[in-house]
Amino acid sequence: MPPAGSRVLVWDWTVRLFHWLLVLGVAAMWWTGEQGMMDWHRRLGLILLGLIVYRLFWGLVGPDTARFTRMVARPGAIMACVRDLIGRRHRPHFGHNPLGSLSVFAMLLALATQVSTGLFSVDVDGLESGPLASKVSFETGRLLAEIHETSFKVLLALIALHVIAIAAYLLLFKDNLVRPMVTGHRPQTDFDTPQQTLRAPWPRIAAAAATACAVVYGVLAIGG
Amino acid sequence: MTHRQIPFAFAALAGLALLGACGSGDAPAAADDAEVAATPLANGLTAAETVAARQGHLKAVGKAFKTISDGLKESEPDMAAIQAAAASVTFETAGMADWFPEGSGPASGVKTDALPVIWETRADFDSKTADFKAAAATLATVAQVGDIAAITEAFKATGATCKACHQTYRADD
Repeated sequence: MPPAGSRVLVWDWTVRLFHWLLVLGVAAMWWTGEQGMMDWHRRLGLILLGLIVYRLFWGLVGPDTARFTRMVARPGAIMACVRDLIGRRHRPHFGHNPLGSLSVFAMLLALATQVSTGLFSVDVDGLESGPLASKVSFETGRLLAEIHETSFKVLLALIALHVIAIAAYLLLFKDNLVRPMVTGHRPQTDFDTPQQTLRAPWPRIAAAAATACAVVYGVLAIGG
Repeated sequence: MTHRQIPFAFAALAGLALLGACGSGDAPAAADDAEVAATPLANGLTAAETVAARQGHLKAVGKAFKTISDGLKESEPDMAAIQAAAASVTFETAGMADWFPEGSGPASGVKTDALPVIWETRADFDSKTADFKAAAATLATVAQVGDIAAITEAFKATGATCKACHQTYRADD
């Protein structure tokens, strides 16, 4: 048994930073989009593009709790997770539980759809457009803008579900999932088996960040 | 009813229900709307024709604006394309004064983003469309000269007149 009070890193600092920047970013994108502040919407959109690329890359090379291959759960595991929820049984999971992984994949997919359609979107008056919109026709740009609007509603629904789930864990199971997303740590005693603390090696962080910057730079270079 | 017939009967019922659903909702109003929609308005067209025509023209304007906007982003803009697009805007909007006759709003039953307030504050609406037409004419003239900075400025000014009007008079904005 590990010593009482020992803590284990569940979320590396880049995942946490990504998460909270995303919260701010999505809120800002919603606001600027609704208010028609399209200059800011475009700038912030490029930052979000960078964040998403970072996270997708990190899903390939990052530590266990960030890595996509570790997040893919078998249907059996997902069903067991659902049964535990229904039976009000709670077993803290090191990282995303199988249902949480599904939610994360869905949100990342919705976010990727948002930023990629936004790059090519054109407004109905042909006055405002994403940085790569000059590469597509007016009709295609309009279609992508419609998808951009619809997928935002999907994203909002997924975010609502995410927040409701966090609240449910707090109220039903007295498990505060927000704190570890801020501090990164959970008590080792939360887990049935001792867990190794995560490692986020600098070279990999640098590679993911460089990829993100390269994509954003590429968009700027092509779109001008 | 035999066992085999049940799926057929069910499918037929479902089909009928679907057909019914198409008409339901605004079914009682549909007859009135159809009558209203078929009556020629002040411009000689029906409400449906009027809405279709102005939407067609405005979509063409949107397309032309995208051509200009894309062109101005290029390091070496295709001047001929910009000039043609700018000219097409004045051409497409030549008849704008007749695009919004009384009875071509949403009350006609035709799907339109034109808000009823157009006909409540008509003088203001007309002055806003006049602003647009003046700005678009300037844009077309400036485009012929071919100075990028001047075109950019004239394009911005034209876009501002679009927004000024759409803000108040178009839904979903």
